[in-house]
Amino acid sequence: MLRLININRRLGDFALTDINLEISDGEYYVLLGRSGSGKTQLLELIAGLEHPDNGTIILDNLDITRQRIQDRKVGIVFQDYAVFPHMTVFGNIAYPLRVRKADKKFIAEKVGKVAATMNIKHLLERSTDKLSGGELQRVALARTLITSPRLLLLDEPLSSLDTSLKDDLKRLLRNLNKAGQTIIHVTHDYGDAISLAKRVGVIHNGKIIQEGTVDEVFKNPSNRFVARYAGIRNFFRVNISGEDGLLTAVTEQNVRFKLNGAKSAGESLLLVKSDSIILTNEIPDDKELNAIKGKITEIIPSESGMELTIDAGDLFYVKIHSSDMKKLRLIDRQEVWMSFPRDAVVILNGTF
Amino acid sequence: MNRNSIFTLIVMILSSLVLLFILAPLVGMFIHTGGAQFLETVKDKEVHQSIWLTLWVSFTATFIFSIGAVPFAWLLARKKFPFKNVVQGIIDLPIVLPHTAAGIALLGFLSRDGFLGKTASLIGLNLVNHPSGIALAMAFVSLPFLINAARDGFAAVPERLEKAALNLGASNTKVFFTISLPLAWRSIITGFVMMFARGMSEFGAVVIIAYHPMIAPVLIYERFSSYGLNYARPASVFFILVALLFLIALRLLSLKRKEKYNNPNAQAD
Repeated sequence: MLRLININRRLGDFALTDINLEISDGEYYVLLGRSGSGKTQLLELIAGLEHPDNGTIILDNLDITRQRIQDRKVGIVFQDYAVFPHMTVFGNIAYPLRVRKADKKFIAEKVGKVAATMNIKHLLERSTDKLSGGELQRVALARTLITSPRLLLLDEPLSSLDTSLKDDLKRLLRNLNKAGQTIIHVTHDYGDAISLAKRVGVIHNGKIIQEGTVDEVFKNPSNRFVARYAGIRNFFRVNISGEDGLLTAVTEQNVRFKLNGAKSAGESLLLVKSDSIILTNEIPDDKELNAIKGKITEIIPSESGMELTIDAGDLFYVKIHSSDMKKLRLIDRQEVWMSFPRDAVVILNGTF
Repeated sequence: MNRNSIFTLIVMILSSLVLLFILAPLVGMFIHTGGAQFLETVKDKEVHQSIWLTLWVSFTATFIFSIGAVPFAWLLARKKFPFKNVVQGIIDLPIVLPHTAAGIALLGFLSRDGFLGKTASLIGLNLVNHPSGIALAMAFVSLPFLINAARDGFAAVPERLEKAALNLGASNTKVFFTISLPLAWRSIITGFVMMFARGMSEFGAVVIIAYHPMIAPVLIYERFSSYGLNYARPASVFFILVALLFLIALRLLSLKRKEKYNNPNAQAD
């Protein structure tokens, strides 16, 4: 098990602040963050390539904060692969065993085995400058796995691969994890996170701002930054007033929302999940629903249909199937009703 | 003709003039050296000895000093330390010093009254008028070429590769010998060849430390001042040809070095 306790590290203007993290054996943990959020720096601290200014790193009940890189048994695969250009594929994969002065026969056997798992056995004699991005990625992964690391750190492993290679590598990573390999994977891609992670942490400006299972984090984002990752764009700064059961939130443009349950009054940030919004030409009968009238100002084709921008004083973004679009005969500049249940309205706590 | 092509034409003419300036005296010297004169020089034992002395002393000086200069270059490329710029300035000092002045400074250091001369005399070695003194004079003026080229070579090696090697279990020494050194190898060899070439062409500093035994540049000067241009030319041509052959051989050897790392049966050092 890996535990990071109150890790702080300043690098010029940027700082990793109060990082606390617990990762169990066999877990697939995805650390999600934009470039410059500090996710690579955090990996380098765990690997021992950098040292924290203060805080403690514990791996399998051992304090490794100041332990030598070579003794940590934490393998890292860099975003740019860092494959040694002056060695063949074999030379790269064999490197960790050669520097440990392992027996030649043992090296040949072990390299063959790992290369077979990675599906790169046919590349062993090749020079690395003739390999594709996906092949380089596998070489880098094989070279790290041959050391049997207690913890595998992956820095944006999928970022420069095309879709089919991405799927292959994802499958490979899932299998590795199933075989018991603990993995910490940093990425900026929400899609990678939901397809691989058992647990996910969101890092922003050097701080981990939310953590939990994929469902916990993306269904209940704690702030605007996390919500944006889940593709939620309908944010509104609101003022909440009223009493329990009859709470209303009002934006500066006077758009009103009916809320569910106990919320504290005052200024807050509100989001509406765009897939919960239903469009109709008439006002819905159910008075319990939120119903807001607006005018379509933009229609953009999206993967599954269209994305509409609707001006109701504030702008709403709504996704709709092409068939529904035709059925409702929606066109630009047309007025339309948006309705959604009270529980589709989420009040964000924490930082905005 | 548009502006671009006029510009290119002017650049090409200027470049050709510079190239001609370098080549013309050399070509002239080759043309003015008669075959009979040249053959006579090739057979001249004094010329042989002098060229051989120049080559091996310069090579030995370069080789021995590279043992310290290459790690020093790595230090300059990779580490931050106080007064690094001052250190860098000191390294470049021999390039800007007049070489006779460098010779005078060295003479004070290498003569029996100087620190190094006194120490050497304890084991019965007189550095003045001795190949070891010549080697030191050659190294003094040519070391910056090796250090600077090797430093640039190390700086061009992505630090990420060294970090990856550390992460894979290599010690700092192993990372240096298996990653940094092989990847900076070309620049180091270029620096090595430049130091060697610069060392063997040195006249000013060497002539003050040792007129005898005579290295090739001193021999050429001696023939010129005693017998004139016609006697100095064939020795110069012979020296240039031998030096060129030596440099080409060094280059070819350095290219072979790279192959070792691609052999699956090789054990990392």
